[in-house]
Order: sequence, then C-alpha cells, then structure tokens
Amino acid sequence: MVVEMDKAQRIANKQKQISISEFFEKNKHFLGFDTHQRAIITAVKEAVDNSLDACEEARILPEIHVYIKRIEGGKLELITQDNGPGIPRDSIANVFGKFLLGSRFHAIRQTRGQQGIGITGVVMYSQLTTGSSTTVLSKIEAESTAVKVDLALDTKNNRALKSNEERIPIEEWFEESGMQTLHGLRIKTVMSAKYQRGRQSVHQYLRMTSIVNPHATIRLKVIGKEGETVDEGEWVRSTSKLPRPVVEIKPHPHGMQFGTLQRMLKNTKERTVKSFLRKEFEKVSPLVAKKILEHAELDEKRRPAGLPVESIQSLLAAFMEVKIQSPPVDCLSPIEDLLIKKGLEKAIDSRYAATVTRNPSVSQGNPFQVEVGLVFGGDLPSDGTVELLRFANRVPLMYQQGGCLLTKGVESIDWRRYGLEQPGGKGVPKGPAAILVHLASTNVQFTSEAKEAVSDNEEVFDELRRALFEVGRGLQSHRKRIGQREKSREKFDLINKILPEIASKSSSMLGREPPDLSPIITKIMNAVFCEEEVIWEARDKLAKCSIKIYNYTARARAYTIIAKWPESDSTSIVQNERGGRKEARGLWAWRLDAIDPGSMTSIDFAVSGLNKGDWKEAEVFYRGNGEVIGSEKIDETLLEEARKQERLQEVVDEFIVPDVSTSFHQKDGVPLDSNVVSSEIWEAGDKLF
Amino acid sequence: MKEKTRSKEDTIEALHAVAAEMHDRMMRGEPPRMTLPVRSKKNINFDERLNVYKYGKKKTIRDATSLGSAHQLLRALFVTEFMEEMIEGQKSSTLREMYYISEGWGYGKFGSQNESNNLAEDLEIVTGCLREDFKLRPEEDGARIIGNLTFEERNRRGEWMRINCRDDVGDSGYGVPYNVESEKLRLLGHDIDFMMAIETGGMFDRLVENGFDESARCGLIHLKGQPARSTRRIMKRINEEWGLPIVVFTDCDPWSFRIFASIAYGAIKTAHISEYLATPSAIYLGIDSDDIKAYDLPADELTSRDIEALKAEKSDPRFQNQEWTDQIDLMLELGEKAEQQSLAKYGLDFVTDTYLPEKLRQKLGIHIG
Ligand SMILES: Nc1ncnc2c1ncn2[C@@H]1O[C@H](COP(=O)(O)OP(=O)(O)O)[C@@H](O)[C@H]1O
Ligand SMILES: [Mg+2]
Repeated sequence: MVVEMDKAQRIANKQKQISISEFFEKNKHFLGFDTHQRAIITAVKEAVDNSLDACEEARILPEIHVYIKRIEGGKLELITQDNGPGIPRDSIANVFGKFLLGSRFHAIRQTRGQQGIGITGVVMYSQLTTGSSTTVLSKIEAESTAVKVDLALDTKNNRALKSNEERIPIEEWFEESGMQTLHGLRIKTVMSAKYQRGRQSVHQYLRMTSIVNPHATIRLKVIGKEGETVDEGEWVRSTSKLPRPVVEIKPHPHGMQFGTLQRMLKNTKERTVKSFLRKEFEKVSPLVAKKILEHAELDEKRRPAGLPVESIQSLLAAFMEVKIQSPPVDCLSPIEDLLIKKGLEKAIDSRYAATVTRNPSVSQGNPFQVEVGLVFGGDLPSDGTVELLRFANRVPLMYQQGGCLLTKGVESIDWRRYGLEQPGGKGVPKGPAAILVHLASTNVQFTSEAKEAVSDNEEVFDELRRALFEVGRGLQSHRKRIGQREKSREKFDLINKILPEIASKSSSMLGREPPDLSPIITKIMNAVFCEEEVIWEARDKLAKCSIKIYNYTARARAYTIIAKWPESDSTSIVQNERGGRKEARGLWAWRLDAIDPGSMTSIDFAVSGLNKGDWKEAEVFYRGNGEVIGSEKIDETLLEEARKQERLQEVVDEFIVPDVSTSFHQKDGVPLDSNVVSSEIWEAGDKLF
Repeated sequence: MKEKTRSKEDTIEALHAVAAEMHDRMMRGEPPRMTLPVRSKKNINFDERLNVYKYGKKKTIRDATSLGSAHQLLRALFVTEFMEEMIEGQKSSTLREMYYISEGWGYGKFGSQNESNNLAEDLEIVTGCLREDFKLRPEEDGARIIGNLTFEERNRRGEWMRINCRDDVGDSGYGVPYNVESEKLRLLGHDIDFMMAIETGGMFDRLVENGFDESARCGLIHLKGQPARSTRRIMKRINEEWGLPIVVFTDCDPWSFRIFASIAYGAIKTAHISEYLATPSAIYLGIDSDDIKAYDLPADELTSRDIEALKAEKSDPRFQNQEWTDQIDLMLELGEKAEQQSLAKYGLDFVTDTYLPEKLRQKLGIHIG
C-alpha cells in the first residue's frame, strides 16, 4: 500500500546531512504545524482521515472518538480511537515511526489522506515539542489479542524506535477502546498545542468532516485541567450506506505540470519513454504515444530517468498538440445528493435541504465534479451571513475562505432572487441558511501549498454556478410553497377563528340571533385549498402523508390530485385506501370525483422504506378546472417528457446489467494518487531526504 | 367641544351601530364590514364654512375578506364592548391602558399601541363621538403655559381652583390638563396682547428666563413638538373666547411646517374634529428660510428624510397656496434648515431683544418696548 521513500532518503543523506526534523521544522507551515492552535487540528485531521480511509477500504461503518485533555505546560494530550481494521503488528512501526511516501506520491486517486504529511508527522511533532513517544494500540480481527507499543523516531536515519511493546488481552482492549469492537486503532500522544473553539477549531473540522461522511459516527470530548468539559460534539451517522469505493485512474497528459512529470519520469519502472507514456497515462494508446514523441522529437527508446529539462518541456508541449481522448470520469467520488442531505441534516437543524450533484466534466485533462448543498430555516440564525462549508475531495477547507474559488462562486450569485438577503446582490448572502460546496477532482488546484483555497478555474466556476442556481431555484420554490401555505393558513384562521368570533360578539352585543356562517365563508374564500403534511411514524417506520382538499366555492368540484413521493427500488406506497394510480416515476395520482361546496376530502397514504427525515414535504399537483391554492397545476408537457425518459431508461436497463458503482477498480495493486500533492513540497523533500 | 359631547345612551347607541353594520351584512350572507373615511392627505378638503380642513368623501371599506381587516373588525368589537363597560361602570382608561388590556383579547389583541390609538380615532369618526365620550384619555402630557392669564380648573375633589399662569406657577408654568372643555376649565381673564406658541422646550425656557411674557405682554405656550389635542384646543379657545392672536414660533424645517399646519388648518389624523382644534387665524412667525440668510444663522444640511417630507408637503392640500409653496421651494433650494436656538449665535438676549420684536413688527404690526 505504501511506497517507501528510500531513494529520496538516500539522495538526501548523500547530499547533505540534513535531518528530517530540520526539514519538518522548515516546512512546518505547509504541514499544518505552524501555530499551536493549528497543530492540534492537524493532528486530529491526520488521525481521523486515516480512520475514515481505513474504514472505507475495509467496508466498515466508522465510529471515531476524539478525546483531548489540557495538561500543564501548554500541552494537550490527544487520544483517537476508531473501529477500523487496525494495523498488523509488523506494520505499526513503519506507519508511525518512519516517513513514508504514502500512496500519494505519483498516483491519482481521490482520497482524503493526501493533503498533509501523514500520521508520522504527528508522532514527529509530539516528539519535537515534548520529547514524548506516541502510544499505539492496535487490534486486528485475525488475532485474539491487541498490540500496544510506544513509538518514537530516529530522525537521523528515518527509522522507528519501538519500546514497551506488549500484547494485551481482549478484555483490556474492550475496556480501553470503550467500544465492543474486535478491530480498531487507538493512538495516544502529547504535544505542545492549544485548544481553541470557533470557526477554525477541531470541533468545526469534525463537524464538517461528519457532514461529508454521513456514514460515520464521530464524537469529541475536550477536558480542561480541572476535569471540566471545554468542548464536546457528537455527530451520529445518518446513513449506513458506505461511500462508493473509489475508482482509480492514471493521470491524463492534459493535466500535467512540469514538476509532476519530472517526478514521474524519475520514479517510473518503465525502461523507455514510449512505454512510460503508454503505461503511466490515461488514454495514451501506442499510436498516441508515437505521435507525442514525434512532436517532442524524442527517440522512443530513450530512458525516462535522466531526461533533460528541455526534453521534459517539449514533452509537455507535445501533450497539448496531440489529440487525446478525455479522461474517464468515473474515478471521482462525489458524496451524492441524498448523502449530502443526510450529512447536512446530521450537523445542522434546518427546515429545508436541497442538494445538487452535477455530472462530472473535464478541465485540462482533470475530471472534476461539483456538488452543492443548501439548508434553510429551522434553528439557523437569520441575522448573520450564511455559513459556507467548503470541501475539496471531501476534505474540509477551513482557512482562507475569501480567496477561494468556491467562495467566489457563491458570491457571484444574486441570492436576492432566491430569497436570501445580499446587499448589492454580491458577496456571501445573509439569512438562515448554510451552503455546502464540494469539489471532487483528480487534481484540485490550490492557490498555495497550504491547500486551503481552491484557485481560479473557469470551467469549475461555471459548473459551480450552475449547481448553485439549481439549489437556489429549489429554495425559491420551497419558499413559494411556504408562502402559499402561510396564506391559506391565514384564510383558515380567518374563517375558523376570527369570523365566528365576530359573529358571536356582534350578536350578543346587539342581543340578536347569530348569523349562519357558511354562505359568508364561501364568499370570503371563494377557492379550493390544499393542505399537505408529512409526518414520521417511528413505530412503523413510515412517512405518512396527508393531503386535504377543501372546497370553499359555491359548486361541487372534481380534480385529479397528484403527489410527488420519493420513489426508489427500496420504497413503496402503503396504507393507500384511495388507491389511485401511478402517473409517472415518483408521481402518484388520485381522482376525486365530487367535492361538495363547503366540504373537505382527504387523501392519506404512507411510504415505507424511508428513514426519518428523508421526506419532509410532499409537492402536490392538480389536474382540473379552477385553481387549487397550495398546489400547482401539473405541467402536462413536462410530464410527458418525464414519461418518455422513463421508457427510454427501461430499455437501457434491460441491456446494461452491472452497476458501475459496485465494482472496485484498482490498478495492479498500486494505488495511484498524484492528487493534490503539490510538487514543490515533494521536490523539496526529494532534495532533503 | 361641549356642543359635541354625547350622552351615555347616545354614545352606546352609536357604538352599537358599528356592530350592527357587521351583523346586518352577515345576516344577508355577506362578509362583515366597517366603512371609514380615508385618513390621508388625499382625502382632506378645505371646508369654506368652518375655515379648516376636514375629511372628504373618500371611503374605505374594511371587510373581513383578508385576515388583516378581519382582525380590525374583531378588534373594533372588542373595543366597543370595552368602552360600553367603562361607560356603564363610570370608569375611564388611558389609551395605553386599553392597549395593555387588549393582551387578554385573543385574536382581538393589538399589535402595537399605534394600532389601538388609530382604532380609537376610527371609532370617533364612524360614531361621530369623541374619545372623551368613550371614556378614553390620552397619556400624552399637555402643554405648559406662562403669562398673565387666569384660568379656573376643577380639581379632583370637584372644586374650582383659580390659577394665574404668572403668579401661581413655578418656572415650568401651568400644566394644561388633557380635558380643557368648559366643564373642566374656564377662561377667567388676562392682561396680554397675544399668545405665542413655541416648538422647543429650550426656547420656551429662554423666553421665560428673559421675561419675554412681561416685556412683550404675551402668553407663552410650549408645544412639545407635534401639539396634543388639548394644546390645540386651548389655543383655539383662547383665540375664540378672548379674541387674542396666536403666533407660532418654531424651528425652520419641514416638520415645523406640519406643526403649524396642524394648529392653523387641522391635522390629518384628527380632520374629523378640525373645527374644534384648529385656529385658522394663527400666524407663522418664524424661523423661516429667509431668516437663515437675513440673520446669517448657523444651518444644517437637509437630510434625505427632510427632503422627502418637503416633497410630500407639496402635494398636501393644506400647503397649496403661494406663500407656503414659496417657503417649501426656498427651503429645497437652499438645502438648509435651522433650529430656534441657532439665534443664540448673537447672544442669549438676541432672540428677545432683536429677533422676536422685529418679526412681530413685520408680521403682526406689534411694537414692543
Ligand atoms: N487508523 C488506521 N487504521 C488502519 N490503518 C491505518 C490507520 N492509520 C494509518 N493506517 C495505515 O497507515 C498508512 C499510512 O498513513 P499515513 O502516514 O497517514 O499516510 P496516508 O494516510 O497518506 O496513507 C495508511 O495508508 C494506512 O494503510
Ligand atoms: Mg493519512
């Protein structure tokens, strides 16, 4: 799983006797350990990201606990615990005690653990600032006992130093882990660091992480010196659906940068540039490779290692001149609409959530995909600016909000149209909302090595705007529904509460007989109203929907009422006494023959196969004459369009059997990353180690 | 307003008529409603006979087809019921008390005191009664008066008390009660030549300290901004019963113009009783825009709200004459306003020694000293 950096190490040792600790010291700000506040966030991040990655690979639903304790001397004790697969005894030392070039070095895959320096960095920081070693407790399922070991680094030789290794019985493991799990990993370390609350904090990091990982349960507890609780958080999984396994691809020539190409050439096992091009790039056929080399005026047989700078540059130029197919896009790992919704709901209590996952596209040879989520109403504060939650490849971005492309996208939308406040129609809007933006890409470009702000890219920007428009429109129609509902509620109040009181007060004051209200009500309302409500029935695990139609006109009415419901393979309509029929996918229709003047008719049904919160609001449409306040007239042309699409889909489904999302692609056991690691650091590393 | 006050029975009957309009309509199967004159500057006309501005013929119908109006109707019923109780029980309450009492009225509850004040006025208009008939009192405190005027006021024990507004009062003067009708207040006698109404407390105190009431043989009355009903009513009585001229001395800004208009022509909100409150012969003494230049007074720039107010005044029927149009245009042109107290630029006595004597000579032909 990991490629050691031996070679770079050897070079570094030969060139200068600079220790890893010096490298670490020099590059602290890239590595996230530059300030005491940030150090603890980075440490938690390295550990939690590893736990999530490990669980995802092992197809385990993650349960992650983070404990932080303030101790004397400006230090923090950090304990992280997961229920992941654990690490076999023999690998522990390498993972924690030795700088490794993880999968990240030259491969392309969208994973979390690609931004920082890895967990060894945490061990290193702890050792450098407090002189302590880090204790690791690992339990793998195949063994009946757990391994406990203290780790330190021999920074001169980049070697792990183990001490106090022991086997501990399962009961003790259960006790220490606080989980009844047969596998998992626990890390305990001490470091100079400062715990702070706020927008840039461990709490916020975990909260954001939990949003994009709705399948994970994460707990945080921070204890002060007196044993008091300083901070805590609990984000319980809202789905048991694991993220789709990541499909891996090789880099595409169009996205290449000089440093990356140079590094790839240096590290390849291929013996000729031609086979290098064919094997290490996506969409490079023998013919394409040949053309590239012709353009670059390079001999096919040249050895990749040791190509001079000029040749590398002409290779890069040739990449752009030769026609190459676009890269495949199924290597991305979007969170997906429904899961974003669940993630947001897990962290933020709101009335309305809308999400959009755009289809993948390609920019400069890099597949990318934009996802946006918006929550609105409920307990969200209505006076401040909207909270912006930025993610790149599922990694929360917590710093440099202003300079980030994802922020600029949000700022460029005129949110006033969709009902949010925004002075001048520009900038981050205000109001009771939160906006999530996720960019998934095989190569996220950042503005700096700190990797906190996505840099400008027109194609990403346009896609982002399209996604934001979409959620904006969703918000607008939600608000319209709320407005209509408000209006009909007002009318109901008028006729049910105010009018009877006017009647009884005036009659008693005058000592006269009370008037008959029904003709007055018809005159006041003079319309048909629709009220809809969806409630969650926990006992039967049913979402119950009730639609009521009130006829406050002077004549009998007939309508077909159509309700939108969350139709899927796992859901079905139950307890539907009125029957009705399917109108199209996700649309069910009932014919109501005669609703007499002054009367009410209700349609009740339930949907099974849902979880709490999956469905909160039913959209209701009608077909027939005369407006129904609180519902919309069905658009027959759109309906016809939807039916056509469906029939088409049915035909397609018959022929295509396997579901792409369940197959697991991996290239020759060598996971490819290349992702987001900026070449500069690693080049610096190459020289130093 | 004696002529106008109604008997207990008449008042209750008038209140019942409001409920009856609603009930009759409901018996016919129609939504209940209340008919009211439009209460805005668009619906005030000059009444040639009364010499003041009164509501015109424009009506609004408040009917129960919208929630807001239905609320209003229900509130009107709650309020009439409440008034009836007070009349029967020989009690009275302040407008503010009524607002708090409405807390217990469920759907009839008022959203703000402004709403309840407005409804009380609405009921005055539709019933032709006065709020005194409804046993409603304002909590707004009336004006203060200083000068050689003598009133007789009936105190809480029902005894008539003689008060001279120069000799029997302290520096803050005689406090005008909210009811200044003849059953409560009698005008006994005076030894002055005119009444001067003053907008700000600071200027009122300056004139008192300088003994202007004696040197100019006048009565001074402090308006406290937009004058209360009782303030306007007492000026009206002084003007009518004693035949004394009323001169008005205010800041120089659009709001002062409105203060003057409410004194001389009638206020928009109380146009149904303008003939009891307005003094058509009142004279605007100053400060006017010309004075800013003539006396080189320290001035402030007009704010956007000021400018809006001036523009609104241009379409207010009460200001549709050459003099006012000129005043408003001049102020807009200069873009400046000034306070009464800006006269202090030339010392504390300037206002009483120079400014007011000059203005009184110009506008009234009165010579002082
Ligand atoms: N909590 C964990 N559970 C299981 N395996 C882990 C855990 N943490 C780290 N590992 C293993 O150690 C490797 C190195 O981790 P790390 O140094 O953080 O680099 P990276 O996350 O980039 O792979 C991981 O790739 C993973 O195989
Ligand atoms: Mg890692």
